[in-house]
Amino acid sequence: MGENKNVVADIDRSLYDFKDVESEKDFYRLQEGLTKETVLKVSEEKNDPDWMRDFRLKCLELYNKIDIPSWGPSIDGLDMDKISSYVRHKSEMKGKWEDVPEDIKNTFERLGIPQAERESLAGVGAQYDSELVYHNVKDEVAAQGVVYTDLESAIRGEYADMIRSHFMKLVPPTDHKFAALHGAVWSGGSFVYVPKGVKVDIPLQSYFRLNAAGAGQFEHTLIIVDEGADLHFIEGCSAPKYNVANLHAGCVELYVAKNARLRYSTIENWSKNMYNLNTKRAVVEENGIMEWVSGSFGSHTSYLYPMTILKGDNSKMEFTGITFAGKGQNLDTGAKVVHIGERTSSHISTKSISKDGGIGTYRSSVIIQSTAKKAKASVSCDSLMLDSISRADTIPGMDIRTSDADVGHEAKIGRISDEAIFYLMSRGISEEDAKAMIVSGFANPVSKELPLEYAVEMNNLIKLEMSGNG
Amino acid sequence: MSEASLLQVNDLSVSIDNELPILHNINLDIKPGETHVLMGPNGAGKSTLGFALMGNPHYCVTGGNIVFDGEDITDISADKRSKAGMFLSFQNPYEVPGISLSSFIRNAYHNQTGKPVKLLAFQKSLRAAMELLSMDESYADRDLNVGFSGGEKKKAEILQLLMLGPKFAILDETDSGLDVDAVRTVSKGIEEYQKKKDGALLIITHSTKILESLHVDYTHVLVKGRIVHTGDGTLVDEINANGFEKFVKED
Amino acid sequence: MGKDLDMKVNVLPVLTYNFLHVNDSTIRVDDPETVGIKGKRPDTLPEGVLLNESISFEKAGEIFRINKDKISGNNSEMAGPNGDNSKRDSDQAVRTGMGCDIDNLMISLNVPTDVYTVKEGVKVKTPIVLKYDLDDGERILSSQVICAEKNSEITVIMTYDSDKSSHGFCGISTRLFAMEGARINLIKVQTLGDRFVHFDDIGGLGLVNSSIDLVTLELGGCRVYSSAYIYLSGKETTLSSNMGYLVRGDHFLDINYVADQRGRKTNAAMNFKGVLMDKAEKTFRGTLDFKAGSSGSVGDEQEDALLLGEDVVNRTMPVILCQEEDVEGRHGATIGQLSDELLFYMQTRGFDEQEAKRIMIKARLESVARMIPDPAVMQKTQYYIQNII
Repeated sequence: MGENKNVVADIDRSLYDFKDVESEKDFYRLQEGLTKETVLKVSEEKNDPDWMRDFRLKCLELYNKIDIPSWGPSIDGLDMDKISSYVRHKSEMKGKWEDVPEDIKNTFERLGIPQAERESLAGVGAQYDSELVYHNVKDEVAAQGVVYTDLESAIRGEYADMIRSHFMKLVPPTDHKFAALHGAVWSGGSFVYVPKGVKVDIPLQSYFRLNAAGAGQFEHTLIIVDEGADLHFIEGCSAPKYNVANLHAGCVELYVAKNARLRYSTIENWSKNMYNLNTKRAVVEENGIMEWVSGSFGSHTSYLYPMTILKGDNSKMEFTGITFAGKGQNLDTGAKVVHIGERTSSHISTKSISKDGGIGTYRSSVIIQSTAKKAKASVSCDSLMLDSISRADTIPGMDIRTSDADVGHEAKIGRISDEAIFYLMSRGISEEDAKAMIVSGFANPVSKELPLEYAVEMNNLIKLEMSGNG
Repeated sequence: MSEASLLQVNDLSVSIDNELPILHNINLDIKPGETHVLMGPNGAGKSTLGFALMGNPHYCVTGGNIVFDGEDITDISADKRSKAGMFLSFQNPYEVPGISLSSFIRNAYHNQTGKPVKLLAFQKSLRAAMELLSMDESYADRDLNVGFSGGEKKKAEILQLLMLGPKFAILDETDSGLDVDAVRTVSKGIEEYQKKKDGALLIITHSTKILESLHVDYTHVLVKGRIVHTGDGTLVDEINANGFEKFVKED
Repeated sequence: MGKDLDMKVNVLPVLTYNFLHVNDSTIRVDDPETVGIKGKRPDTLPEGVLLNESISFEKAGEIFRINKDKISGNNSEMAGPNGDNSKRDSDQAVRTGMGCDIDNLMISLNVPTDVYTVKEGVKVKTPIVLKYDLDDGERILSSQVICAEKNSEITVIMTYDSDKSSHGFCGISTRLFAMEGARINLIKVQTLGDRFVHFDDIGGLGLVNSSIDLVTLELGGCRVYSSAYIYLSGKETTLSSNMGYLVRGDHFLDINYVADQRGRKTNAAMNFKGVLMDKAEKTFRGTLDFKAGSSGSVGDEQEDALLLGEDVVNRTMPVILCQEEDVEGRHGATIGQLSDELLFYMQTRGFDEQEAKRIMIKARLESVARMIPDPAVMQKTQYYIQNII
C-alpha cells in the first residue's frame, strides 16, 4: 500500500512529455502536405507491391472527394498541409532491444516498455513515429506458430495473400475521409496471426510513440485469430506535447474466426495536441468472442468508436470503455455494433468523466438487422461531471429491425455526491483525495478488466488528471 | 389406489435452458384435496419444480412426465395447464401497468370458463375474498401489482387463487418476506381454498411459518434436486426443530 | 396546381452518424395551396379565459418574443455539444419540436391562430375540449396559442378523429406559455383514419414555478409526426410528458421531444410507451438538455417499445446533453418483445400468447388513456383502444 502511494505521488506529465529535439537530424522526414507525389514517395519508401501502390493512389482520390463528418468535434485546427505523413529514423527495424538506436531506446525505456515485456508479455512491437523500430516475440509463443511481425515485411512474405485478402476489407477506404487518408499514406503497424486452436496465454503488446512535431502516424494493425484460437492484444499510445497539431489516423482490423476469442485493450495517452482519428473494427464469426477494453485519456480531439460486426450465429461482443476529458480536450468516443447472426449478444458499458472545460461525448450505434433473431444488446453509459465549465453529452442510437430481439439501454449523468465526499472526509481523507478515490471507484469496472500494470497506469493517469496537472 | 390421482409426476428430470440439470427423477402423486409440502434448503430446486410443473419454457423436461387429471401435460403450454385447472402462485409476481387487478382477474376468469362474467356477482365475490385477505378495496382498481408492497403482491396472488378456484395450486414461497400478520392472513386464504374448493396444494417453502395453521398430508424433502425423504405432516415439526441437516447427510 | 412541399422537420438537437437516419425527418404536404384551415372553438368559454380568434401566426407568437429575455441561461460563450444543430430553429418565436419549417408553412398559408389567455390567478376546473372530427378527404391546418398568466391553471383537450378507412391531412401547431406559477395541461388524442397524414407540433415556454403537463395518444394515421420542444426556463419549472402510441401495418411515426432545462431545480419527466406491429416504422428522438444554470435539475426519460411484428423498424435516439455539474439525468429504454417471464406469468393465469399480447397492448395504451381528465373523451378513447386490438 505504502509503496503504491509512492508511485502515485511520483507520477507527473514529464514522463510522457520528454522529447529528444537534438536528434532530429537522424530522421528522414517527408515534406508536409498531401499530394500524389507524397503518396508515391511513401509507397516507394515502403517498397510496396504494385497493388498496394495503386491502392494508395485510389485512396488519395477518395480522400479528396469525401467530406469531413458533419457531426463530430471540430477538426479545424488540423491543417493537412502542415502534417508530415511520414517520419522515420534512419535505421532498420531491430529484433534485439540492444540494437535499437540509443535515443529511441531511451524514450521507450523511460516509458517502461522493455521492462513490461520482460515481466509479462508474450511479444512486443514498438513503433516510433511512422516505423516499427523493434519487434520481438517470445520463443515459446513463436513455437506455437503465432506470427507477430511488422505489416510491411509480412506484405511481401509468406502471408502476402492473407494480408492482401484482408487489408482494408473490413474498413474500406470509402468508409470515411480519414480511412481514405489512412489507405493513402499508412505505414508501420503490426500483423498478427494466431493459428487454429492456439491459445496465447500471455498478452502481445504493441506500443506507439509519436515523437516528431507536426507529424502524422498512420499505422495499420491487422490481427487474424483463427478457429478456436485465443489472444489478448494490448496497444499503448503516447506522444510528447508540441505546439503544433499532430495527427493519428491509424486503422485496426480484427478478424475473429469461429469459436475464437480476441481481447483488444488500449490505453491511449497521446499528448494534448493530437488529433486522434482512429478506426477500429472487428468481425466475429460463429461462437466467436470479441472483447474491447478502451481507455482514452490523451489527445486534443478524438473520434473513436471501435465497431464490431457480429456476423456468425452466437457471436458475442463486450465493450468496456472509459474516457477522461480534461482541459482543452474534446473526446468523442463510444462504440458501434451490428448484429447479423442469430442469438448474437453485445454489451457496451462506458464511463466518462469531464473536468476543467473538457468535452466528453459518448456516441454509439447499435444496429440489429432483421436476420439477428434472438439477439440481445445492452448499453450502459455513465457520465460524471466534475465542474460546471465542462460538458458531458450522451448521443447513443439504436436501430432495431426484428421484433425477436431484446434491447436495453441505460444512461446516467450526474456528479459526485456531496454526501460521499463528506463521508470520506469524516474519516480523515482530504477533499482532493476523496474526489480522486470516488473517480477511481467510478472507473473501477474498466481498470479491473486490465492487466495489473496497466490498471496501475490508468489509476495514475486518473490521479494526474484529478490533480489538474494533466 | 383407492382414489384416482390428480397429479402424477413420474421420474421427472429438469434442466434450465437445456444446459444446467437441476432436478433428477422426481416422483409425486397428489390426490384431490390433498396438501403436500415441499421443503428443502436454498438452492435445492424447489422453485424449479414449481416452474416445471406449470410449464415455464426455460425449464426443460429431460426425462419423465407429468400427468394431470388423467392427461399427459408434459409438453403443453402454461395457459393450457392453467385452463386444465392448475395454478402457480409466484414468488415475485409481475407488475403490469395499465390493467387493474380486478379486470385482470375478470379477464382470466372469463378465459377459464369461456362464459360471460356476471359483473355484480363477480364483484361481490371479489369483495368477499379481498375482505378475507384484509386487502383494502381500493386495490381492486389499482394496476396489477404496480406499487404493491411485498405482502400485498402475495395477497393478490392468493386472491387470484380464490377467484379462479383451480383444482390444484402450487404456492411458491408465498410466505417469504411477510410479517407475522400477513402470514396469518395469507394462510387464512389458503385454508379457505382447501375448504371451499376441495383444492389440492403443493406448498413450496423453506420455512414453516405458513404451515402452522394448515392441515398437511405429506411432506417431501428436496435436496440437491432429489426428493430424499417423504413423510406425513409431522415431518414439518421435525424439520422445524432440527433443520435439514439430517437429510443433507443422508444424501 | 401548386407544387408538393417537402419540409425538413424533427431535427435532432445534435447531429450524429448519418447512417442511422435519425438526424431529421421529411414531411410531404401535397399541393399545400389547397389545404384548408380549421379553427375549432369550444361551445362555451370558461370564465376567466379570453379567446382572440384568428390572429396571424406571427402576431400570435409575439408573446414569446417579448419574453425572450426570460429564457434564462442564454450563455452563448460556453462550448456547445459536438454536432450542435440547435441554431437551425433558433429564430422561431418559441422553438417547437418539429421546427421552423412548420412555422413557415403556417405563415405562408396564412393559417390564423386562436389565442387563449387565462387571466392571472384563474384556475379553470373544466377542460376546454376542441374536437376535430374530420371527413374523408379533408385536409386541414390549425394553430393555437395557450397562454396561462401568473398562477392560473387551464386544461385543454384536443381530439383528432375520422373514419378508420378515411384519408386526409391534419396539421396542428400548439404553442404554450406558462407564466410564473401557472399550469397548463394539454391532452391530445389522435384516432385518425388509416390514410391520414398527421402532424402535431408543440412548443412551450415555462417560467418560474410553472408546470406543463402533456398527454399524447397517437393511435391512428399512416404518417404521423408528433413533437414537442419545451423550455423549462425558470426556477422549479416542471414538465411531465406521457405518450402512448400504436403503429400498425406499414404506418410510420416520427417523434422528437426536447426538454430544454435552463432554470435551477427544474424537473422533466418524459415517458413514451407504445407498440409496433406488422411492418410499422418508428423513430423516437428524446433529448434532455441541461443548459448552464440548470443546477439542481433532474431529468428522466423512459422509453418502452413493444415490438410485435416480424418486420418492424424501431429507431431510438435518446440524447442527454449536459453543461452543468449539479444535475441528475437518466435515460432508460426497453425495446423488444414481451419478456418470457411476463408471458409465462400471464399463461399461468390461463391466457394464451395471443391473448397475453392483446392484454399487454391494451394495458400500455390504457395507462396513458387513463390520464385524460375528461370522462367522455377518456371513455371514447378506451372504447377505441378496445376495438382496434
